[in-house]
Amino acid sequence: MSDTAAVRINEKEFILVGVFLIFTAILAAYFPNIATTNESGEIDYISIPLVGFPIMASIILLAFASQEKASRMHKLNASVRLATLAFSFIPFAVATALFFDWLVVIDWNNIGYNSYAIRQQYTWINSIGVSWHVGLDGLSFPMVWLTTFLIPVTILMTWDEKSGATYHPLLLLMGGALIGVFVALDLFMFYVFWELTLIPMFFLILNWGGKERRYAAQKFFIYTFTASVIMLLGLITLYFLQPAGSGEGYGDLTGRTFDLTLMLESARSANARGEEWMGMDMQKALFLMLMLGFLVKLPAVPFHTWLPDAHVQAPTGGSMLLAGVMLKMGAYGMMRLPVAMFPDALLFYQDLVMFIGLVSLVWGAVVCLGQTNLKRMVAYSSVSHMGVILLGIASMQPIGYAAALFMMFAHGLISPMLFAVCGAFKHHYHSMEIGSMRGMAKWSPFLAVYMMFSWMASLGLPLLAGFVAEIMVLIAYWPTYGWWILLPAFVLAITAAYYLWSMQRTIFEGGDEGQPPASLNGEKPPDISLHENIGMFILAILIVLFGVMPFIALDMMNAWSVNIFEMVISRNGGGV
Amino acid sequence: MKTFDIFTTDALSALVPEFLLLCGILVLILIPNLGKGTFRIPLTQIRIPWLLGGQRFALTSHPRIPGILATLILGVAFVFSLLSQAGDADVVALKSKGGLNLLLVDGFSRLFEILFFGAILAASIASLDRLPVGKGSDSETLYNNRRQVDFYILLLTTALGMSLVALAQDLFILFIGLELASLSIYVLVAFHKETKAGTEAGVKYFIVGSVCSGVGLYGLSLVYLWAGSLQFDVLTVAWDNGASTLAILGMGMILVGFGFKVSAVPFHFAAPDAYAGASSPVSAILATASKAMGMLGLIRLLVVIAIPDNTDGSALWLVTLGVLSAITMTWGNLAALGTDNPKRMLAYSSVAHAGYMLAALTAIGAWKWGHVNAPSDLAGAILGAVLFHLVVLVAFKMGAFFVLAVLEMEGGASHLSNLAGLGKREPLLAAAMFIFMLSLAGVPPLAGFLSKFLVVAGIVKMAIGDLSVTVAQGEIIGLMDLHWIWWFALLIFINSAISLFYYLRIGVVMFFEIPEKERQKPLPRAPFLRLVIWSCLVGTILFGIGGDALIRLCFNAVENLSL
Repeated sequence: MSDTAAVRINEKEFILVGVFLIFTAILAAYFPNIATTNESGEIDYISIPLVGFPIMASIILLAFASQEKASRMHKLNASVRLATLAFSFIPFAVATALFFDWLVVIDWNNIGYNSYAIRQQYTWINSIGVSWHVGLDGLSFPMVWLTTFLIPVTILMTWDEKSGATYHPLLLLMGGALIGVFVALDLFMFYVFWELTLIPMFFLILNWGGKERRYAAQKFFIYTFTASVIMLLGLITLYFLQPAGSGEGYGDLTGRTFDLTLMLESARSANARGEEWMGMDMQKALFLMLMLGFLVKLPAVPFHTWLPDAHVQAPTGGSMLLAGVMLKMGAYGMMRLPVAMFPDALLFYQDLVMFIGLVSLVWGAVVCLGQTNLKRMVAYSSVSHMGVILLGIASMQPIGYAAALFMMFAHGLISPMLFAVCGAFKHHYHSMEIGSMRGMAKWSPFLAVYMMFSWMASLGLPLLAGFVAEIMVLIAYWPTYGWWILLPAFVLAITAAYYLWSMQRTIFEGGDEGQPPASLNGEKPPDISLHENIGMFILAILIVLFGVMPFIALDMMNAWSVNIFEMVISRNGGGV
Repeated sequence: MKTFDIFTTDALSALVPEFLLLCGILVLILIPNLGKGTFRIPLTQIRIPWLLGGQRFALTSHPRIPGILATLILGVAFVFSLLSQAGDADVVALKSKGGLNLLLVDGFSRLFEILFFGAILAASIASLDRLPVGKGSDSETLYNNRRQVDFYILLLTTALGMSLVALAQDLFILFIGLELASLSIYVLVAFHKETKAGTEAGVKYFIVGSVCSGVGLYGLSLVYLWAGSLQFDVLTVAWDNGASTLAILGMGMILVGFGFKVSAVPFHFAAPDAYAGASSPVSAILATASKAMGMLGLIRLLVVIAIPDNTDGSALWLVTLGVLSAITMTWGNLAALGTDNPKRMLAYSSVAHAGYMLAALTAIGAWKWGHVNAPSDLAGAILGAVLFHLVVLVAFKMGAFFVLAVLEMEGGASHLSNLAGLGKREPLLAAAMFIFMLSLAGVPPLAGFLSKFLVVAGIVKMAIGDLSVTVAQGEIIGLMDLHWIWWFALLIFINSAISLFYYLRIGVVMFFEIPEKERQKPLPRAPFLRLVIWSCLVGTILFGIGGDALIRLCFNAVENLSL
């Protein structure tokens, strides 16, 4: 035994030294830059509090967890999940403070095209024009806030997950990487975080998933990775197609830059001159390559098949973050890159994008009707709702863009709640089959209420957040596509049908005693725990809040959408 | 640039690492043989100590000594080459009395030396654990202990041969270095006597390797017949004036010799057997240093000598190498999908990586003379990327083999199931292995991503060439206007997506499956092995996040190359 103990100590030391070396190297390399390049004199509220802190904290917690003896693991689980919850409040507090202007005064509704609040740039890989460049605008800030908000909620909701000492830090790591995607203003950095999100999710599915988790985790990783390397090739081609330059942001070995703001600026100035940036043929090629990466992530039919597998197998927390934020990465990427850079190509492919969106919407909804697995149904409903985002983009109207952005935000609140309900259902009833039981309302009134509420929110009940987005998309759809509007409107009716039908079969019916599922073996079905109750309650409150007062988030989204139309899109005849 | 005669003390000062290795080999031969034996001068009563005989000293003949000595010598040589690169060291050319260029010490060759010495040093440290010293007096243990010195001498000769290849300015010297390294490696591959596969692998590797070397040597003689010299600069000039069929044939044959070293399809058939049969540190050398040596030969041969001539705008070997590269990367990845042996899998992944680098060389062959401004800048970008890839490959490829070495010490690592449950048995080791796998697949922010990114960026840069100027002038271009080499970039990325299947499988097996019954006990302690694994891990992450300095080093090294 003493021999093994010695091994453990050895390793611990090695890893500590390694971590220490990495930390010192990074600090030594970047400290001068941090000290000097804050040209605007602003304090960087993004790099460390929102991105660096969650990632570093979770890595340190994971390192602790890997060293603990199995016999003392349960103690560690308890302390680590508490620590993770506490840590996850820091980014949330910072993001909230930024919204309420407590730290710096930011006029969120007046951020112009290609200008960003708290923009900070540090040198990173200078030789090829890569910098650590972060900033927030009306597009990214709602997603950042949503992510910071969802991490503590997710941790709370899956409080009792097994081997929590690794599970909860992985959620935090996931959150940090996701925020990194949203704040990145450098395409290299964007791609790094884009792929970094795969790793914690891969482990979340692999270690805490259902029976087929192995297949699902690999499928998830390979699908999204394949699409994103093609996106990367598009980015590299774009990188070298720009004219060479020099100065800050440009690589001194290549003479090119990955700086998004510089690229957007040259796209805008080409537009102002009435030219097609890069030429129409090249725009089309690059547009398709970038869109492929984002469509798979979104996911849109026919690239959606990884999503139901991943969702059904993923643990509740993984599903919540996957549906809540990770899918939005695709929509966010579309808005940030192809839409803003290649408006001419977007106009050319407008009908194609609309068609893909429509097919996703219809296909997702129709497949939902036939599902017997609760989580699978919710997953396909996500595909359906992501189609709505594509319709918003394809409408080429400012209000359509704002609708798409609000759909991202609203779905980011609703879908975690849907999956939280599914998770609680699985947790307490040991089954996912819709038809396996009747009369849930009799034993689990809380769960039944939350289920009904979230189902209603998802099918677009007025005064809840989802309704606002859907009605706006339909409004934007009409001037562009006219009577085609009947199709999405009809699909929204199907959505109502599958939700109501599944609700009827699980919550109600079953006579006075109900029919508990066979998987409980005759035990009395319990109601949800306190943690789950609190988490779902917070989500429900916010869904109502943003349904009644959508302008809290909608104003800045609307400002961003109108702005991008003024600057790059309106020349081409899009917009009103 | 300084020029010295080869047999002077100045030359000695320029070749410190090489002479260190040479002395090291002598020391390794001598020290274990020190003993109490004496030698009586005939016809007198005077006895003088006789170093190589009698009863050996217990201290110097201890089986640990060769390993420690070899590691120290390699370490000092590594530090020396590192220092010479860090400062603004002079470029030193060494000539023979007749004025022939023999060796050239510059940034490019020093960078390769750092790579070779670093890789072999890591393998040597790992072997301290991997080739354990036995206690007891049964014949097998004694035999194994005696073999230690052979192993480390062979490591040093490998390093010496490789550094000769790096320095050579003459095809003949290059060939001598290549053969010195190759012959040592053949023996090292066969050194693994725990399984029959080791001997089989050694013989197979030797036969295929010597056939390829023979073909290469014949090509060398054809080239000599054509040009009357094997000097690089003479050949370059001759090639510029137009290559005859004889020269092309000769070059093609030399290509076979190097193709074997980088394990390009169709010369790769012995590689998976050799990797699987050799002990893991030796496989690690095969996959990194030996491959870098092959790439170095290809760079010298194709990019320095057989550069594109002015007339048709691209190199003669372009199509051959392009086809070879496309087949190599695809074949390697597809074959890796079908194997259950992690070492064979790493061998095929090494074949695939060779394909990526050959694609980069193809892109250099495709540079458009006269159509592009400063084509040597383009070539420099690609070569720099290849160098970066070769250097960081040492970190994560070797790391993966060393993790397998730990499992080998426990009883074998020839099947995926041997990795099962590593995530539960040793979470840190499994995490390290998974990071190495992700790095091989090219997932950011690891070193493997940055290197693949740079290679692809180089190819795309080549494909776009001067078109960015055209675009800035407002002309309209499409994807078809780019050079066709752009599609190689796509092929590389599609291939790395395929490769994810088998890299991820390792992770899944480690974290998902239950360990085998006989593998429930703690893993061997192996402190040295763990030391190199952690260093590899730190390198993989550090070069991925902050690779700027190394990128600069590689690109500067390429600038020394006369393109």
